[in-house]
Amino acid sequence: MNLKNMCGRVSWIFNDDNFDVDQIVGVKNIKVTDIHELAALAMKSYDPEFAKTVQKGDVVVGGENFGYGHPHYPPLKALRHLGIQAVVAESFSPGFYRGEISMGFTLVSCPGIRKLVSRWDTLSVDWENLTITNVTQNKSLPIEPMSTMDQMMLERGGFIPYLKGRLQSAKENQKGQ
Amino acid sequence: MGMTLVEKILARVSGKDSVKPGDEILARPDFVIAYDFPGYTDVFFKEAKEEFGVDKVVGPERFVLFIDHMIPAATPKEEDMHKITRAWGKEQGVPVHERLGIGHQVSAELGYATPGAFAVHFDGHVSQLGAFGTLAIGARKGVLEAFVSEDMAIKVPATVKVIIKGKLQKGVMARDVFHHLVRVMGPSSCRFKVLELAGPVIDDMSIDGRMTICGQAMFIGATTAIINPDAKTIAYNKGRSKIDLEPLYSDSDAVYDRVVEVDITTLEPIVVAPPSPANTKNLSEYQGLEVHSGYLGSCASGRIEDLRVAAAILKDKKIKSGFQLHVVPTSQAIMSQAVKEGLIAIFVDAGAFISSSSCDYCYGRIATMTDGQRAVSTGTLNVPGRMGSPDSEIFICNAAVIAASALEGCITDPRPYMQDMLEVL
Repeated sequence: MNLKNMCGRVSWIFNDDNFDVDQIVGVKNIKVTDIHELAALAMKSYDPEFAKTVQKGDVVVGGENFGYGHPHYPPLKALRHLGIQAVVAESFSPGFYRGEISMGFTLVSCPGIRKLVSRWDTLSVDWENLTITNVTQNKSLPIEPMSTMDQMMLERGGFIPYLKGRLQSAKENQKGQ
Repeated sequence: MGMTLVEKILARVSGKDSVKPGDEILARPDFVIAYDFPGYTDVFFKEAKEEFGVDKVVGPERFVLFIDHMIPAATPKEEDMHKITRAWGKEQGVPVHERLGIGHQVSAELGYATPGAFAVHFDGHVSQLGAFGTLAIGARKGVLEAFVSEDMAIKVPATVKVIIKGKLQKGVMARDVFHHLVRVMGPSSCRFKVLELAGPVIDDMSIDGRMTICGQAMFIGATTAIINPDAKTIAYNKGRSKIDLEPLYSDSDAVYDRVVEVDITTLEPIVVAPPSPANTKNLSEYQGLEVHSGYLGSCASGRIEDLRVAAAILKDKKIKSGFQLHVVPTSQAIMSQAVKEGLIAIFVDAGAFISSSSCDYCYGRIATMTDGQRAVSTGTLNVPGRMGSPDSEIFICNAAVIAASALEGCITDPRPYMQDMLEVL
């Protein structure tokens, strides 16, 4: 794994399984395109003070099958704008997972994560040893490995730079043969 | 060691003798399918040229585009979107089909659902081509890869085999079977895996019913769904398939992630209550709940057998005064068949509003609900705001339930209306 290890404070825990991410900005705001407006709407129904308390590099935690339903891109765009660097969940819904990884956004699958953390704890992710540590409580859990292509998407910052890299190496391999 | 149908298809399109779950391979899609939609096709066209310098797609004969959303256009901007799509198709030598119906259905009608083929789309509901033994995967924005490269990098998924046993009661349809699977197996039970359907219920089921179940695969977490080809699907594709392929089948010693048996003999009509497709309930729990509108259509339902059963219930009756019933056949070929069978006249006489085929009812672009309204729907899903106001509600159900509920203006068990009907309905 060449992924950079990361550390972040847990600014929210979504306890629901099968969480529909559209709820983050509210379904009626899903077509809002202005990122500042979206960010201002994000998490309002969960914690009206969220935007004020969140810090750059924070993470949010989710339950089983996080992103189920018909996920749209704006809710996570809003969270990223507020500084959220990753979602750590028990598991992810495939459509959501594919969509967000291709945006270059870090998703960490960690069965049992909800029991490991309380809000405002600090989590540290070690990609080499495939563990997540609650630094505040000094407890750890294993995380699930990522496929090579998903890792490359995160390392390179999203789907387009990943694909450019993949096509470039294919060309070089062809020349080399 | 044997392979599943999915593994055999992926081995073929990656030029390997065998693959196993977890392998990361480069696979060449036989078909690249898309409908035009802002943020997807317009972006793919632009990025392919500007980011990757790809002026022409490789193998344009593999590509097919549909105009099935925003049809007919309601704003100049929507029509502009369609113009971009038509121009791209012309420039690339790629067919653009419009006004033929919902692309996932029309793909099958035009021969893109070849048994043993590998198809990609950005929309996961393309999984319904799995009804023919086609491996059809929705890759969201990742489908751009197929526009700039002949191959796509994918990880071979494991397969979960579900054997459906028993006999469906009258009034219980494929739609109920799928949502029952979500209920008993769980909405995340097939995450990142392929759902392979088998068993006597699937063997007896029509192609329509199989497409209904396969098309909803994403709501059980699956990457897609697939059914081994049989005489029905091979006959359907005879003279229709776009490419010649030997049909492939799962080996008897194939290795599955797990094998699940589900008996549906006692299954009753269900509704999927708001706010999520994970929320399957027996219809009886909601019987009598007032509803304002009904939608019979979409890529999930709205095929000829759905129309036949609804027409049989509505024949010589009138829908409840004030109730809005929208009947939208999944394709124009189905519409034509329904006209020939006299079904459309039955719907019109009953007071239904009939529309040419379009995706637009399913996501609230038209027939939009306002606050406090409630619909029964055969659309794909029921999340808040899907058919209009976030404060309106959607109950997903089968076509017979739509018809019976339209007569009574509330959620209604269709079985009392079906007692005299033949088994074949």
